[in-house]
Parts: sequence; structure tokens; C-alpha cells
Amino acid sequence: MLELVDLSKKFKQNDAVKNLNMFIEKGEIIGLLGPNGAGKSTAISMLSSLIEPTKGDVRFRNKSMIKHPAPLRNVIGVVPQEIALYEDLTAEENMQFFGKIYRLRGIQLKKKIDEVLEQIGLTDRRKDIVKTFSGGMKRRLNIGVAMLHDPEIIIMDEPTVGIDPQSRNYILETVKRLNKEKQMTVLYTSHYMEEVEFLCDRIYIMDKGNLIASGTKDEIKRILSAEKTISIQADRWNDEFIEELKQNPTVNRVTVGEKEITIIIPREVNMFAAIIKMAENADVELNSVDVQTPTLEDVFLHLTGRALRD
Amino acid sequence: MIGILQAKFKMFLRNPWTFMLFTGMSIGFALILGGSGLTTISVPVYSENEEMQQSFISEKLEESDAFTFNWMTEDELKDEIANGRAEIGVILLEHDYRFIVGVDSPNRSMLEQTVRGAYVEKFQQDNILAAANATTDAEKETVLENLQETMESPVFEMNRSSFRSADTFVYDDTFQRLFGFTLFFVIYTIAYNVLPILVEKKDGLWDRVILSPVKKWEMYVANLIYSFFEGYLQVLIIFLIFRYWVGVDFHGRFLETLLVLIPYVFSIVALSIFITALVKNAQAFNAIIPIISVSMAMIGGAYWPIEIVESEFLLALSKINPLTYGMEVLNGIAVYGYPLEELVFPISILLLMGVVLMGVGIHLMERRHV
Ligand SMILES: Nc1ncnc2c1ncn2[C@@H]1O[C@H](COP(=O)(O)OP(=O)(O)O)[C@@H](O)[C@H]1O
Ligand SMILES: [Mg+2]
Repeated sequence: MLELVDLSKKFKQNDAVKNLNMFIEKGEIIGLLGPNGAGKSTAISMLSSLIEPTKGDVRFRNKSMIKHPAPLRNVIGVVPQEIALYEDLTAEENMQFFGKIYRLRGIQLKKKIDEVLEQIGLTDRRKDIVKTFSGGMKRRLNIGVAMLHDPEIIIMDEPTVGIDPQSRNYILETVKRLNKEKQMTVLYTSHYMEEVEFLCDRIYIMDKGNLIASGTKDEIKRILSAEKTISIQADRWNDEFIEELKQNPTVNRVTVGEKEITIIIPREVNMFAAIIKMAENADVELNSVDVQTPTLEDVFLHLTGRALRD
Repeated sequence: MIGILQAKFKMFLRNPWTFMLFTGMSIGFALILGGSGLTTISVPVYSENEEMQQSFISEKLEESDAFTFNWMTEDELKDEIANGRAEIGVILLEHDYRFIVGVDSPNRSMLEQTVRGAYVEKFQQDNILAAANATTDAEKETVLENLQETMESPVFEMNRSSFRSADTFVYDDTFQRLFGFTLFFVIYTIAYNVLPILVEKKDGLWDRVILSPVKKWEMYVANLIYSFFEGYLQVLIIFLIFRYWVGVDFHGRFLETLLVLIPYVFSIVALSIFITALVKNAQAFNAIIPIISVSMAMIGGAYWPIEIVESEFLLALSKINPLTYGMEVLNGIAVYGYPLEELVFPISILLLMGVVLMGVGIHLMERRHV
């Protein structure tokens, strides 16, 4: 239905997005995962025709949308990364404003507002001024006003940044429900891999403007199929132990945290006994040693050598 | 577009405090600092010669805008001064005058000019009558009538750029303060109404509108109309209060005064857009606005008359300052009483500045924030 072909954007010398290829089918929830500065927002802006790509194409129903984006604009709802609302107006007044710019009027507008307020759980706060809302409520309204014109595709740019876990769950559940009940197609951007893992059918992972992996959750995790992650926990480390791990030829990667060291080793190797021995030699008192099933975080770590979150 | 304006007005009604603050400050400063100018200064006057009260001199003194002359006896006059009810008294002689000074103040030299002016004119008239050999009353009448007619259709005319009969610069406090503070404070009101364009664009609010069937230019137009409206509403309220409550008479040109405020407000809206396009963020804007408005007020004649400014450099700067032209048109109408046609030049400059700054401003904004 919607396709990005070699989409690229250069800001002066900075390649914000490089040759991004992506497709979205009707009814899917697609995740776009990447750390800050990966180029997610830039990609979304090009997709929704807000900025012009330096190179590449956005195709909707097999037509290029670069020069004539109207057909696409009519069917998308965009939830920007910032709270894009009139904070001095009430929730309802904001909805009236954003409904009116989509030519909704009178009874039709009123009904739609009631419906969306119900969906985002703000019905009893409709008369309150947005400025007085909590971060989570603002986020919900930010999503709500993008749904008034019944978009076929909703594009969300990090809709859960900076809010409490409860609001976050509420939003995730709402997105899932909209997708199930109304067959709404969703493009969900985030730097939280748990969210993307929970919501999405297919995932694209970006880093520094590049697409570094894509596919279903299982497909992506299979990237790590040749390896496994072991988590070693202790109250304190010493250099001798860390050095020993790093020197070990079977260990592919060592990441040192305050109370946790993760190492990546080939799947077939069993290092359990060896690790215990190393710890004894170096006088490190271990709390536990676990083999972990890989997460998207591990995939990102594997591909880039850095953690997803800074 | 109507929807955008509706939203803006709703926000204004919900939160009119900034607007009211700046309106109140304009009125307050103009009233407090310009207080003395609102009433004329009363001057006791006495003459031994009873006829002086109906003389040419007395008539001339009555014409003064700044002073009201009250006739009284010599004792009463001395009493007024002694009790401090008046600063200065005047005793009129036939060819000369005396001042009785209680408190020496800047008003004294102005009073002296007024009184001397009257005597000089009287002296000139007497000389003309003598030259025309007029002795009887009827003859004098004819000569004076002829003189009057000739004066009204002169062979050539000299225009004086300063106000009132005396050939000196007169500082009209009321108008100076009223115009100065109004034009100064309205810059803030307008600027703080243009700033949201920057904030709303950054937050993506404009992007939402752009994706809808509403066009981007409608968003610009609605925002600019709204800023203009709020700025104009402020000056309108201030001037109405001064006209009908304080009772300042705009020399019968009140409507024209309101009219010539339009190009000024327009140019300030444009200037605000221009500044908004140049700054990085709202903090920078908030830091720069007071600097710009205060400098504009200082070199544009809002705090003190532009006539006081002597530096060539500052005078050159004042030529690119909309406030200078704003003061010029307002003073032109209400103080000097020029007809509108004579103010076409400053009005055109204001409109031109408005169009250019707005065009460049919007262009820059579009290029930078994309
Ligand atoms: N308008 C812009 N001008 C210049 N550089 C930009 C602009 N927008 C984004 N960038 C740069 O492009 C890169 C990607 O940014 P962005 O798309 O916002 O990443 P993300 O949304 O994944 O955090 C960053 O390095 C950012 O600094
Ligand atoms: Mg982003």
C-alpha cells in the first residue's frame, strides 16, 4: 500500500536518512526502532510529505507522492514527537479546531469528538485546559486529534516519550485495539525496543541514517541465531576478571555494566564452568550466571556495538 | 481560516492579562509622566491700566495653549505667589512687562517667550500703523483689515516646522508621552503575539495544519491578522481612553489619528515576523525584543523628542526605524495639524517597510524551519 524507495535526506553534510527502503501493508503495525538521532523523525517527515527527500520516492497505491501528495495526506494521521496542541485551550476545543481543519462540522464533528475522547480515555477531562494535563494525558490527546478524520494509516513519532508507565501501557493498548477493531494501519516509531516488540508485526531498525535490519520479530532475532547472550551478575568487578573475559577467544563481545556483564558467545559453546573458574581466580563473587534469549536490544548491540539507549 | 482565528480569540479571552498589562502600562506611563501637560498652567496677571484687559496684548495671551491668564488685582496677585498657588505672576505695562517670580521653573522661559511674543507683535502692528499714517480709529481699522487680508493671501509663504506662534521648538508633553509610550508598548503586545508562530511551528502544530486541507498561507494570514488586530485594539483602547476619559483633544483630528496608526501597527507586525525568522528559539526572541524595542524607542523619539537627538549616526539609524515614522505621522496630525496629504511620505515608508519585512521574514522562515 505504502512504499519508500531509496529514500534519502541530507542536511548540509549530514546524512539524516540514507537509502531507506520500507513497505507498509494495510492493517499492519510496523515498528521503526532506533536510538536518538537515527533519522526516524526525518524518515516520517518525508513519508508524510512534510519535507522533500533529497533522493528517492514515496509511493502510495503505486503512485509517487513527492510532487502531488494530496491522496496520501487525506488518509494519514500524523502524531508528532512534540505535543502539538494549543495548551491554552481545553481538550474539546483542541479537537474542535483540528476537526474543523479537516472540514468536519456540526453533529458529525461532535459525534467524532465524543468517540475519540472515549477511545483515548479523556471523556471526563474534556472541559479542562490542556496546560493542566499530566504528560500522559497530553500525549493521549496528541494522538486523539490525529484520529478525528478517520485516517487509514496513523503514523506515531515516539508517542510515549517522557510519561509514566501507566499512561504508556494505556497508549500501547489503545494502539493495539485500534488496529484490531478498526483495521487501522500503524507506523510506530520508538527507541524503546519493548514497545516495538510488544506491538509490531514487522520491524525496521535504523541507526545513523542507515537501515540496519528489518523483518518480523523472529526473522530479526534469527540474526543472532549463531550466538547467545550470557548475563553475569555480581556486586563488584575487578579488572582482572574483565580482562580475562575479553582475552578469551570464544567470547565475541563483552559489555560491562555496574552489576552486570553481558557476553556474546557462539551458540554451541558452553562456558558456564569456565566463567565460574575465571571468577574464582580473580576473586570475584558471582551472584548469578544466566543464558538469555536474545532481545531486539541484543540485536542492536550485535549490529552496532552500542546499546539502543544512551 | 475562520477556525484558526476562532481558536486564537478563544485563547485571547482566556488569557488577556499580558495584553491588559501592556495597555495599562502605556496609559499609566503616559498619565503619570505626562501629567503636567494635561492641564494648562495658570498665571495671575495684573495691569494698572484697566484697558490692558481688552487690549491686543491680552488677546494674544489668551491664544496660548500652555498658559491660562487670570486677571486680578495687584494684591491678589502677590497673595497667589506668596501662598505658592502660582509660580509666576505677570504685570503688564503699556510697552513692557514685569515678572513676579515665586518659584523659578522651566516654565518661566516659556512664559517669557509667550509674553514677549505678544509685545513684539503689538510693536510691529504699531509700526505698520505709523508707517501708513493712520491716526483716526477708522483709518486704523482699514489699515488693519488690509493687513489681515494681505496676510491671508501672501505673495510667498514660509512654512514653519515647529509648532505654535513662537519660533521655537515647543515640547508638547501630553502628546509626546501618549504617543511615545503607546507606540513603544504595543511593540511588545504584537511581538508576543507573533512569537507563537515560531513555537507552534517547532512543536509540529503547523505540520498538522499543513497536512490537512487547510493551506499554509491561511495559517500565516490568520496569525498575522490576529496579531494586527490585537496590536490595533491596544492602541485604540489607549487613544479612546485619552480622548473621552482624560479629555485630550487631538486638535479635532481624532479619527485621522486612529487611521494613521494602521500603517504603524502593520509595520510592527512585519518587523516581529522578521525577527521571529531570524532567531533560533523563543528564549532568544524574548531576550532580543526588549533590546530592539528600547533602542527603537530611544532613537525614534518615543522617550524624548527626536529633535533632542544630535548624533549623526543615531539620526541615520532613526531613518530605518518604524517608530520614528509612527511618531512623525502622529505628531504631524495631532500636534502640527498637517493635512494627511503631507504625511504621505512617512506613511508610505511604513507600508513599504511592512511589506518588505513581512516578505523577507516569511521567506526566511520557510527556508530555515523546513
Ligand atoms: N531540520 C534539520 N536540519 C539539520 N539537521 C537535522 C534536521 N532535522 C534532523 N536533523 C539531523 O538529522 C539526524 C536525524 O534526526 P532525527 O530524524 O530527528 O532522528 P530521530 O527522530 O531518530 O531521533 C540528526 O543528526 C539530526 O541532528
Ligand atoms: Mg525523532
